[in-house]
Amino acid sequence: MKNNNFKIAWKALFFPAILSVLTTSCNKTVDEPDAGISSPSSLDEKAGTWKPYILASSDDINVPAPEAASSEYYKTELKKLKEQVDAIAPVQREKVNYWAAGAVYRWNEIGRELAARYNTPPASNADGKYPLPDAANPLADPKFPFANPPYTARALAYLSVAQYDALVSAWNYKFKYNRKAPSKNDEAIKSILPVTDLPSYPSEDAVVAEASVTVLKAMFPGEVPYLEEKLAEHKNSRMWAGMNVESDIKAGADLGKAVAAKVMARAKTDGMSAANNQAKTAEMIATAKSIGTTVPWVSQEFPPRPPMLPTYGFVLPWNFSAETVPTLRPGPPPALGSAEFKKNMDELLDIAANQTREQARVANFWSDGVGSYTPPGHWHRKGANLCKENNFSEVRTARTLALLGTTMQDAGICCWDAKYYYYYPRPNQVSKRIKTSVGLPNFPSYTSGHSTFSGAAAELLAYIFPNEKQALDAMAAEASVSRIYGLIHYRFDCEAGLEGGHKIGSFAVERAKKDGAQ
Amino acid sequence: MLHRLQKRGNRLAALLAILCCTASQVFAQMPNDAIYMAKGTACLAVSYTHSSWDKYWENTLLRENLNIGTHTTHIVMPMLAVGIVKNLNVIVAMPYMRTETSAGNLRWQKGFQDASGWLKYRFLNKSGLSLNAIVGASLPVTNYVPDFMPMSIGMQCKTATGRLLASYRHKSGVYLTASGSYILRSKIRLDRDSYQSDGKLYNTNQVAVPNAYDAAARLGYLKHGLQAEGYVEHGACDGGDNIRRNDMPFPTNNMKSTSLGFYAKFQPKNLGINARAVYVLNGSNVGKSTTYSAGILYQFRYAKDKSKQ
Repeated sequence: MKNNNFKIAWKALFFPAILSVLTTSCNKTVDEPDAGISSPSSLDEKAGTWKPYILASSDDINVPAPEAASSEYYKTELKKLKEQVDAIAPVQREKVNYWAAGAVYRWNEIGRELAARYNTPPASNADGKYPLPDAANPLADPKFPFANPPYTARALAYLSVAQYDALVSAWNYKFKYNRKAPSKNDEAIKSILPVTDLPSYPSEDAVVAEASVTVLKAMFPGEVPYLEEKLAEHKNSRMWAGMNVESDIKAGADLGKAVAAKVMARAKTDGMSAANNQAKTAEMIATAKSIGTTVPWVSQEFPPRPPMLPTYGFVLPWNFSAETVPTLRPGPPPALGSAEFKKNMDELLDIAANQTREQARVANFWSDGVGSYTPPGHWHRKGANLCKENNFSEVRTARTLALLGTTMQDAGICCWDAKYYYYYPRPNQVSKRIKTSVGLPNFPSYTSGHSTFSGAAAELLAYIFPNEKQALDAMAAEASVSRIYGLIHYRFDCEAGLEGGHKIGSFAVERAKKDGAQ
Repeated sequence: MLHRLQKRGNRLAALLAILCCTASQVFAQMPNDAIYMAKGTACLAVSYTHSSWDKYWENTLLRENLNIGTHTTHIVMPMLAVGIVKNLNVIVAMPYMRTETSAGNLRWQKGFQDASGWLKYRFLNKSGLSLNAIVGASLPVTNYVPDFMPMSIGMQCKTATGRLLASYRHKSGVYLTASGSYILRSKIRLDRDSYQSDGKLYNTNQVAVPNAYDAAARLGYLKHGLQAEGYVEHGACDGGDNIRRNDMPFPTNNMKSTSLGFYAKFQPKNLGINARAVYVLNGSNVGKSTTYSAGILYQFRYAKDKSKQ
């Protein structure tokens, strides 16, 4: 009897309790920030006069005049558009809203995603060698590219520059031809997205989509089918939404493709194909020894891995000349074994033994390591979000990200120059008591790449968003110090990197002051 | 730039299977047997576990990693099993863990992991056959880093487990036990606000960790304070992705393993000892680990036995 009572109580109380635990832990939905629909606060009518990077001017590539609004051709296009809008399916509406977050915003996000997807170093083979990724066979093992930070910095720089030049050109023709939005030419068309006075020919979305895909196909050749699918979806979404007729899209696509081809011509001759010249390292090590690096860096991997892109420092920068790069090189790090060196090493030995949870958190937040979009990706995300929060137009967003992307590649180039000039050993090469909580980069220590990228990014973004300066500087400082907490950099690596980064960023700021967009 | 964490095998799954999911298998009365503490009695046990691997499955590729060498996890776990009434036991446990590698540059991690609690209820007991319903839950007790795998000591999931267990024991002492469980695992939060899973980039710090299940069959002998048992166990996740080529494991991986285990206990009176060995035979996204553990048990009465008055 007693037992029965108990059984009843057990069933009545216990199982419901467990059930509630079960149901609450069943929710697997991950809350990602909703990008929302872009609502530019300005048309930036004068953007057709802004200074492009590669194009000689905004009419460098010709866009033919559109059919007149009164023409039968255009009226037929409007009629077809109306049918498309009226027949929109829920899944198409979802795509419309996705792309409405902003063309530059979305393609930047896609670029970051591809960087993360390709950011894994090759595995060593049975002979203890690391096979090189092969651009002609991008999906074989190892996949091409290994989208490490220098590679990603460059890929995102070209992406943003192509988008920007293409949009400057598009803005020129938009206001030259002044074709109104379809719903302003035909009131029967009920556009799904907010319509502004921005002329619709050529379509800014098609311009960005086609320019982006041209760059990304070259940078991530294994992703052609994925990119084609996204491209078609983006262009179609503008028609499903009633925002552009087909001839708007086609003119935009042609322009985007042509501009990106010009931009990618620079990529073919910027020195990247020679950035992994391992033959050069013997000479670099000899130089480093002659200037005081008594124990040069050696790979801490097993088997030893050739250092990452030792001649990336010779790649062509964006905001200054190649000759300027050595002049931006910081002074030498403390001599190995000096009192200054010992002080920095002691700090790391202390963290190695007593890393706090907060230090680990900072190190992890900024780790941006294997499988991530790297520090340049991290800052592109920040830049894209700031543009969105500030209701920037497509063309102003592209300008911001082009300034950001170019300064970050410049930062990568300068940092790599310093790294292979000084060839300075990592802390864990000096003491085996130092092991990392974030992963050990396979290249010399001085200066810190995170710090250089972050200094440059913060300098540029603080100029565009002055109200954010304090927060941006704090972010960059945290990114910088995170590498000490993660036990892979000395404090002097980080301080020199951060300072150098700010200096590099100021070149992009100089450009921004004179590009006509103020 | 931090490149090169490509080393990070993973054995967390095996560990999880041993610890957090099927929980503490190291003891007398466990959440996966049909043995009950009598009403008013309890058993306190402390075990030490040494689990190591020098090969792991990266997706389905069994590989070594010279930047890890041998990965070892040390675990010390106190556990208490309490007989509430004849057919209901409560079991609680809390492991302290430390991870290390014999090569490479990855920093050790250590700390208390997840506290777990179990209720074991025998709803049928007839002619040697018993049917048992077991429910359990676990909660992380410290703020350890969940995604520094394979060095992390756990995944920060809250879990809830439902298990059915059937056992038949012959008069001779020979028994056969079969069990199956489903483990719900909560979302977790990372220190970083971006990660990649299954080719998609997530812009959030929240990670949906897949649920898991396991099944086990045990054949053993139990009589006069002596228990010996051999078992096969299979655990896997309900979905999940795989470790990318030459990348580190991640909490969303579908960690699968099939293992062979041996267990023995000798507890003639209040004091006893036990030992266990487990070998992972096959798997994916886990370490091919070998695990040994040993424990001491102390059984005591915490309430008067009224039946003897």
